[in-house]
Amino acid sequence: MRLLACVALVLAAGCAPVAPYQRGYLARPDMAFEHSAGTAKALEKTFPAKEAASGGASVGGGGCGCN
Amino acid sequence: MHAALALPILVVPPRAGAAELGEVGVAVFGYKERGLMKVTEPIVWGKGRIGEDWEVAASAAVDIVTGASPQLVSNRTGTPVQTITGASIDDRRNTWDAKVSRRFGEGTVSVSRTVSREEDYISHAFGVEARYDLNQRNTTLVAGFGRSNDRVRSSDDPLLDQGRRTREYLVGVTQVISQLAAVQSTLTATRGEGYYNDPYKITFTFFPPGQGLPLLTADKRPSRRDTLAWLTRYRQHFPTAGGTLQADYRFYRDDWGVRAHTLESAWQHSFGDRWSIRPALRYYTQAAADFYSPTVSRPEPAAHSSDQRLAAFGGLSPSLKLIARFEGGTTVEATAGYMHNSRSLSAGGGSPSFETLRAYYGIVSIAHEF
Repeated sequence: MRLLACVALVLAAGCAPVAPYQRGYLARPDMAFEHSAGTAKALEKTFPAKEAASGGASVGGGGCGCN
Repeated sequence: MHAALALPILVVPPRAGAAELGEVGVAVFGYKERGLMKVTEPIVWGKGRIGEDWEVAASAAVDIVTGASPQLVSNRTGTPVQTITGASIDDRRNTWDAKVSRRFGEGTVSVSRTVSREEDYISHAFGVEARYDLNQRNTTLVAGFGRSNDRVRSSDDPLLDQGRRTREYLVGVTQVISQLAAVQSTLTATRGEGYYNDPYKITFTFFPPGQGLPLLTADKRPSRRDTLAWLTRYRQHFPTAGGTLQADYRFYRDDWGVRAHTLESAWQHSFGDRWSIRPALRYYTQAAADFYSPTVSRPEPAAHSSDQRLAAFGGLSPSLKLIARFEGGTTVEATAGYMHNSRSLSAGGGSPSFETLRAYYGIVSIAHEF
């Protein structure tokens, strides 16, 4: 957590703050980090079912018999 | 639904003048492996805001799995190959999740619950996540904890009923870089213990003449697994080009010896306000688990698996998504993707026994904001 806080502070220091009224482009749906709900849910287990690696973005998703 | 990282600094109604209160949607997912299994999954979801501070979200899905899956790896012909046994798969997985979030000034706390039920696998999980906005909401910090209690059973062995418990930890940061770019980096660590064996995987090893009888062995994996996954995602919009670059990279490692890299890049191009197209390419490569082998040696090792998902291989997955946004808040998406996993695509040299996987998938979804 401390490392990420430092990274955040470094990033923040190097970035000029963007005011709320300047966030029109940032609010576009294609700027979202997650897929839309339907696509995210559909692909949730697709790749992890065929690969050894998983995770990285969230917690609490639970397991399944697919992997 | 996971306790997924939302980005409050970016949550502005995408439609001019719209005050988004919620969303409902339905999707159908189809997946087909060449010569093997087929999955069909209808999905429904919804979310809504209650007052100024509360939000609830929920989804449900049913996986209908049919076809066949490799169960036996044998070197009887001299080369280890996967064999599909006579039993066909006819399984159904029911899953649902719910998430409640409450905002406290610059902070948000979310609690989620996920349940998944199959004939031979049951999972109960929960997650709690805290986010905090700072730097005029240009920076968001997140921390989360999750826990999963699973039961592993087998349709071949009615006596099998074993547990698996996993604890998950998450930390992350989201940073607005400019009016056109943002980056997010998250780290998850998991610690699991319990039954990790795949009750359906069997290895049949034949030895050269004079070196003993063939050996039939069940899948036997360590009873602990610690993992670490570091995911970094970058978004950059190009107004003059009319598109957005989406780039993700994930590094993964675990104490089974698996090291994996995942790189996904997409370009979402808009044609006016209604239509968008998103071609994407995903590359994946992994090193084999320490105990992976398509054959079993003598003396029999303490841990062993011939499951080729633990082998060294690489994969390429191109996909194409078409998006249509209609007046009134309805969005229709159609995605077609292809998955190709092979030993030759591995960055560090693939396992010789890995058998190429070719699969296709498609998703159609309709969502309505209100």
